[in-house]
Amino acid sequence: MMARIELRDIRKSWVAATAVERIDLAIDDGAFIAVLGPSGCGKTTTLLMLAGIYSPTSGEIAFDGARVNDVEARDRNVGIVFQSYALYPNMSVLDNIMFPLRFKKIERSEAEARAREIAALVRIDRLLDRRPSQLSGGQQQRVALARALVKRPHLLLLDEPLSNLDASLRLTMRTEIRRIQRDLGVTTILVTHDQIEATTMADRIVVMNAGRVEQEGTAKDLYERPQTLFVASFVGSPPINLLEGRAGDGAIKVREATLKLAGSAAGDVVLGIRPESLHANASGMPSRIVAAEPMGREVLYSAEGALGLVRFIEAGAEARHREGETVSLAFSAESALLFDKASGRRLDARIAS
Amino acid sequence: METDTLDTVAGTTLVNPPLRLDWPKLARRARLRRAAGQSALLAFLLAVSVPIILPYFWMVVISFTARSGGVSTQVLWTACAIVVPAVMIYSMVHLMTSSRGLRVAAGVVLLAIAAGLLAAHVGHRLHFANYRFLWDPNIVEEIRSKATAGGQFPSVWVAFRNSLALAMSETVIILAVASLAGYYISRFAFRGREAFLQGMLVLHAFPAMTLIIPLFLILHWVGLLDTIAGVILVLATIELPFYVFVMKGFFDAVPWDIEMSAMTDGATRRQAFRMVVLPQVRVGLIAVAVFAFIRAWEEYIFVRTMLIENTNWVMSLYLFWVSDDIMGVDYGIVAAVSVFYVLPSLLLYVFCQRYLTQMTIGGIRG
Repeated sequence: MMARIELRDIRKSWVAATAVERIDLAIDDGAFIAVLGPSGCGKTTTLLMLAGIYSPTSGEIAFDGARVNDVEARDRNVGIVFQSYALYPNMSVLDNIMFPLRFKKIERSEAEARAREIAALVRIDRLLDRRPSQLSGGQQQRVALARALVKRPHLLLLDEPLSNLDASLRLTMRTEIRRIQRDLGVTTILVTHDQIEATTMADRIVVMNAGRVEQEGTAKDLYERPQTLFVASFVGSPPINLLEGRAGDGAIKVREATLKLAGSAAGDVVLGIRPESLHANASGMPSRIVAAEPMGREVLYSAEGALGLVRFIEAGAEARHREGETVSLAFSAESALLFDKASGRRLDARIAS
Repeated sequence: METDTLDTVAGTTLVNPPLRLDWPKLARRARLRRAAGQSALLAFLLAVSVPIILPYFWMVVISFTARSGGVSTQVLWTACAIVVPAVMIYSMVHLMTSSRGLRVAAGVVLLAIAAGLLAAHVGHRLHFANYRFLWDPNIVEEIRSKATAGGQFPSVWVAFRNSLALAMSETVIILAVASLAGYYISRFAFRGREAFLQGMLVLHAFPAMTLIIPLFLILHWVGLLDTIAGVILVLATIELPFYVFVMKGFFDAVPWDIEMSAMTDGATRRQAFRMVVLPQVRVGLIAVAVFAFIRAWEEYIFVRTMLIENTNWVMSLYLFWVSDDIMGVDYGIVAAVSVFYVLPSLLLYVFCQRYLTQMTIGGIRG
């Protein structure tokens, strides 16, 4: 029942604005991918084009190699879970789950059996007589998931499915959705602005920005080898330190610091250093701590020094440095990233260690 | 990239002056103030409701007590002297206790006392003669002697049936058109949508009375003058913009997601509308239906202009001719016809009022 999904050169523009600039994407049969991006980047529009609610202005959508651009939403056999869950308030939970089967030539008894089976899978089999308004957010979420899955979809679309849940429930549902997806092997696309959701649930992540795909890859790829400044700044928490500088003569100059380069670069560049790559170290640059924020397992510091203002983290529940104290900061050269400021692309040049 | 600095702001401290407060006294004062406020509010509400309730009360009292030739206010005052204190005592009880049982008990006791007193003091003056129009169409001839030829006056049931036909057709037309048009305007972008919306508002702001002569002529030319169907069309046309607007508001409040969900679940747009969207604007449909019905039920100006033959009379015309045709005006009959006239819309209001309170001009549910 699953399918290989392809998006070829997809563009979607409205009268006033363009939501999706250009998207090329191929999703393997049974894969779980996440589309990650800030709000307004076109990820939901892309999802709705896959569902058949919107039709692309140009480009081609293919399921298993066949063009489906002109296939109507109701014939695409796509299951979708909306951020708001979009349950039908006038129907019981069982009727909600059975709703998609009303449009298929399925005996009522068989439809009910299938609905009960899927309800058991998402663990809401005791709530079937309730109304959606009598359910908690997590239960509504499960009903929405059951309704999307009962039709045995070619493709399951999840639009920010966890953003209306509280933190602990979000953790549970993350695991649950992953388990159900593995059990059924359904090709799944998750749309989210939350990098944790994307990295924990999906096999591969597509980062979108301003209607374009910035980078596609595993969580590790995105974190360690971001192709663009946007990906570098969007992925990672606390965010990467981005320091503007100028490259030339085999070195870059950032504020008062001059760092030797391995490889060639020239012009305005941006140096990216992850907060965990910075260490308080005897041989580093002197920096004054301006803030220390304990975050549980680690402490986030802000320090002002030769590089400018940087954030770094140190393991441990208690702060070892006080505000106002001066520490020596050093960073590991191999983890530092260089970007061209104008194009935002990552440069091959590295900081010499 | 990072240019913000984290300079600490020079600290200032606010030291609370030590306060010693008499908490029980403050609590007592707050309770007293709340009780006083509630009593004042109740008194105010009672006072302003008198001018609204009194005429209706009077109408009912007259219809059961007045005899032809004149109307005495004595019964009214006697009844008021019994009912008003009862209402006030009940309000006091209601204010003083929050126990449901006590309130019900007080209500029952006061009701019994009031009913007993009413039976003793005005019971002997009650009669149903004023309601004879319900079975005897010849009310006018009786009063004006036999001077006029019989059959001038139609049976009240003819007028009732006409009114019912008018109000129900009006309701059906408005429900069908307003729900479909409201949905379309709420959901679809089309050229001139803004202008259309503004146009509808302007149409509604237009005093309909100014159209009465052109409408009369149009009905005359198309041959619908003096027919219920003609009035139905005129009223529906004038009222529709408002109800379309109200329904648009209700549809605006139904999230898009639900419709999209239904369509990916295999429904056509029409099925999604019928199975998922319409059930969610049920309150709006009920409200629109009730208002449309009552509006048509109470219509006077247009029916007065466009209906002539007495077999086409509706209730408002019947009431008018009853008060007009009877020399010296028999208030008893006029009041009885009024009670009969007001009853259907009153019942409708009572049964549907919990839906009506959810409708505002914009249709945004509170």
